Amino acid sequence: MSAARSKVLLLLPAVAVFALLLVAPILMVLDESFRAFEPGRIGSVQGASLTLANYAELLLPAYVQYFAQTYFLAFCASVVAVFIAFPISYCIARTESPSTRKASLSAIVGLMFLSALVRVYALELTFGSAGVLSPVMSFMNINPNGRQYINFVIVAGLLHYAIPMSILILFGAIQNLDPRLIEAAQSLGASALSSHITVTLPLCTRGIFSAFVVSMTLGVSAFIIPWILGRGRVLFISNLIYTRFSEVADYPSGAAISIVMMVLSLLMIFSMSRLATSFERT
Amino acid sequence: MLKTEEAAVVQVEHGINANLALRLALRKRTADAVLRIGVIAVVTITSVFLLFPVIVTVFMAFDARDYIGAFPPTSFSTQWFVQLAGSDFLWSAFKTSLLLATATTIASTTIGACAALAISWMTPKWSDLVTTAFLSPLVLPGVIIGFGLLMFLSVHDGLPVFAKLFAGHLIIALPFAVRLTLVGLAGISETLREAALSLGANEIQAFFTITLPLAKNGIAAGAVFGFATSMDDVTVSLFLSDFNTFTLPVALTSLIRSSFDLTIAAAAVALMSVTLLLLIVLDRVLGLERAIGRKT
Repeated sequence: MSAARSKVLLLLPAVAVFALLLVAPILMVLDESFRAFEPGRIGSVQGASLTLANYAELLLPAYVQYFAQTYFLAFCASVVAVFIAFPISYCIARTESPSTRKASLSAIVGLMFLSALVRVYALELTFGSAGVLSPVMSFMNINPNGRQYINFVIVAGLLHYAIPMSILILFGAIQNLDPRLIEAAQSLGASALSSHITVTLPLCTRGIFSAFVVSMTLGVSAFIIPWILGRGRVLFISNLIYTRFSEVADYPSGAAISIVMMVLSLLMIFSMSRLATSFERT
Repeated sequence: MLKTEEAAVVQVEHGINANLALRLALRKRTADAVLRIGVIAVVTITSVFLLFPVIVTVFMAFDARDYIGAFPPTSFSTQWFVQLAGSDFLWSAFKTSLLLATATTIASTTIGACAALAISWMTPKWSDLVTTAFLSPLVLPGVIIGFGLLMFLSVHDGLPVFAKLFAGHLIIALPFAVRLTLVGLAGISETLREAALSLGANEIQAFFTITLPLAKNGIAAGAVFGFATSMDDVTVSLFLSDFNTFTLPVALTSLIRSSFDLTIAAAAVALMSVTLLLLIVLDRVLGLERAIGRKT
């Protein structure tokens, strides 16, 4: 058996799975997104006429607002996550006791592995309108059904995953850093803060960018967090696609939203990695 | 006269410099202290934010009251776990999930490990490309995968729901199998295989006696990740489930939306125990730091 042929044979099952279960479905979504939709049917009719109406519809303010809301909340969560994760990650990477490091890393991996539903339920039980913090909310005169508060709870939900994730990503970047660089800066008279801003941060650019991109990607495509914590008042793009399928059976519109969402996600990942590379060069 | 004056000026200047240096050092020390306090505050607040909801859920699951009351509960009982055990709805969902996760793990681990092995033999340029392609389901929104599969599979009527769910879980679990097998393979030195070959083993013998035993921890970690992904998925499953066949997360989602009671807290505690078990297995087979890709 030649090496080339065995390579092909070993790859074949995985390639087949990808072609059949990922590429073909996405091509079908793409095709569906250009089909005309007749209300009252499930999906488009066989051989329905081609149209751009499903995409044109997305330019209406109502749809733009869904996109804006999703990206805005995901952006807030990602920025906060990276800001919070950086010092924590630094502390874990530089701690002297191996057992402390092991314990904190285990806790963080545990939090990341936490089932999405457990996370959402725990947050609803804590911050929700019937949750254990509701006496505190009424004491502080916060309306738990107000839009601002719901937005806050959704960001909290996104952060609950994004913070542990960012800590782990940044942990790798900080661990690869030479600790003597910081010591040198500080012995030459820089304060801890300015030495971190001028030495640590620039050297961790790639880590910071990738933590942000991962948080942002997960935040934008979040489904269960806004669905439960948003209580129907705040919907993300993912939820909008789902309602197109479950409530109105307007598959072509759902398909068009999916395609736009996918293109935006890929564009964001691509542009951020380009930006990270150019930052590193300067 | 002039000399002493000069000396005095120099002395005063020295004094000023020393004073300035002292003040700068003091300012630096205060700035450092402020930073330290700030960092401690961030660490504390974040730990509370991350852990408090989990602790609340665990405590509330053992609450003896039959409503969601103030935290912490005043008395404890296992009534919610009894209710959980008596719920046919959740039990059938749990069985489906367990069966599905097992099938997904076996399939994704086998297919993914084979693919990773082939990738490890490629030139770096090709292996990067193929790996990126295989990892792409990780960055694609789950809704799109679910929606696409729903449309694609509905063309083939009569396909059992379980098979549809299996297809969806396979595609989201496969990237982990590929990635972690590659991590496992990366640690193996090529000289070992060459040594086996030069001692008279053929390619197949060398694979089964050298490569596979050394890569098995990575493969096992991929299996753990695949199992966890399958047990945990809501988004893809929601599209592919129907009224008779549904997974545990789908059942729990509909429960959270319809009746927000503490049976779900009990189910959450049960799920957390499964997660904990998986993490312990992961730590044993690969070590947590390697599994998360921070060490190879």
